[in-house]
Amino acid sequence: MIVEFKNVVKSFGDRQILKGISFGIQEGEIVFILGTSGTGKSVTLKTLVGLLRADSGEVWIDGENVTHFKEKDYLPIRKKCGMVFQHPALFDSLSVYENVAFGLRKHYNLSEEEIHKRVTKCLDLVNIHNVEDKLPQEISYGMQKRVSLARTVAVDPKILLFDEPTTGLDPITTNAVNQLILNLSHTLKTTSLVVSHDMHCALDIADKIIVMDQGEIVARGTPEEMKSCEHPLVKDFLKEALDVH
Amino acid sequence: MFTRVGQSIDEIGRITQFMGRILHAAMFNRCSSHVIFDQIWRVTLQSLSTTALAGFFVGGIMTVQFTLQVKEFGALGYLGGLSTSGTIREIGPLLIAFMLSGKVGAFTSAELGTMRVTEQIDAIRCLGADPIQEIILPRFIGIVISSFFLLTVGLFMSIGGGLLMGIVFSNISPEEYLRHIPSIVTFPSILSGMFKCFVFAMVLSSICTYKGYSTTGGAKGVGRAVVSTAVATMVGIVIADWLTSLISEAIMIAFVGEL
Repeated sequence: MIVEFKNVVKSFGDRQILKGISFGIQEGEIVFILGTSGTGKSVTLKTLVGLLRADSGEVWIDGENVTHFKEKDYLPIRKKCGMVFQHPALFDSLSVYENVAFGLRKHYNLSEEEIHKRVTKCLDLVNIHNVEDKLPQEISYGMQKRVSLARTVAVDPKILLFDEPTTGLDPITTNAVNQLILNLSHTLKTTSLVVSHDMHCALDIADKIIVMDQGEIVARGTPEEMKSCEHPLVKDFLKEALDVH
Repeated sequence: MFTRVGQSIDEIGRITQFMGRILHAAMFNRCSSHVIFDQIWRVTLQSLSTTALAGFFVGGIMTVQFTLQVKEFGALGYLGGLSTSGTIREIGPLLIAFMLSGKVGAFTSAELGTMRVTEQIDAIRCLGADPIQEIILPRFIGIVISSFFLLTVGLFMSIGGGLLMGIVFSNISPEEYLRHIPSIVTFPSILSGMFKCFVFAMVLSSICTYKGYSTTGGAKGVGRAVVSTAVATMVGIVIADWLTSLISEAIMIAFVGEL
């Protein structure tokens, strides 16, 4: 397992968000976590990457128990885990080019020429051209999301974490982003964990689907297994996916 | 009542801890000088004209107030010295720091708060960098240096403002106004004013960076952070003024024998 959650509990004040969830992800898999808003999907991702810390339980990444890692110990782990946020989260004082180059400058001792090559390659990968010198606020929201993805893949992470990557995007860009996740998985051989509401997309590209409700995992399995799942929430998601598409 | 006092003490503790983290980062981590100069340039440009204007009028106000007092005793010749001394040692740093807290403090807090709620700070952490080193430290150093510079500019402008009001309002000549300044405004007085400027700049930059960095709750949260920055910096500056007055006085008595 490249990622493993063992009975992870996380609370904010009196409210328990994760109620002892356990799951594992094999190297190279695309796993979708589905669920309604406020069920702890994003908290799961943030706990994995150390932005939030589990109250109890264990988090394992690439064979290391990172549960009690200090902030500085997490730095090499975060190089392995690239996260694409719900908001594009681009640094608004830096140009598109500098945003993508940010992680490269931090992690690698590269020459400017090498950085330029890598940035151009990553922007090509997400189909972004001729906006390198623009500030994030000067390009569209869809483009910002793709630049954010380019920034994440630039540091060559083994695990890609997506927090609702298609929220707020039009259907065409949504399809493009989904296709991109699939392509990245194939071309870069990365493991992907995607938090989403989009069952249709999950059925299309996921190797495994996990459904969460009220801080617990209520169903898990392959897309085929999900289609025959009897849990009411999964049925609702399936119904909507079939209605819409 | 007790809960609010407890919360305030808790908040002061957290701001002090945060300042400790910044100073630790300043001592042990590298910080891009280009980013620091960028901050200094931006903050200075943003506030230079307003600070100069405010300083000029603060000096003017002090002269008008002192004129009313010294005229009664027939000591108009001491107007320049008294007004400048009061401005440099106390009122100048205080009023200009208040103005900077509204401008630089609110701006920095809103900027960092927006970075927090749009997950830019989390993104920095996820890219394996330390947000304190990347965005807080350059701002902190930039604000301290430029606030210190702006406060000093404001102080010198206040002397100009006082001089002009002395000529226009009090009908004394520039020579008469300036004559007693060197004897009343001593070097320790100037040092005391500069010390206050430095401490106010530290208080201002600690509070505004902390408030912005710890913002939660979306756009409303940013609004709350800006308001609480304005209040906290005002209170912080007043408390720092009281403390620095005590410290300055103690140092002066110890080394000079009198103020």
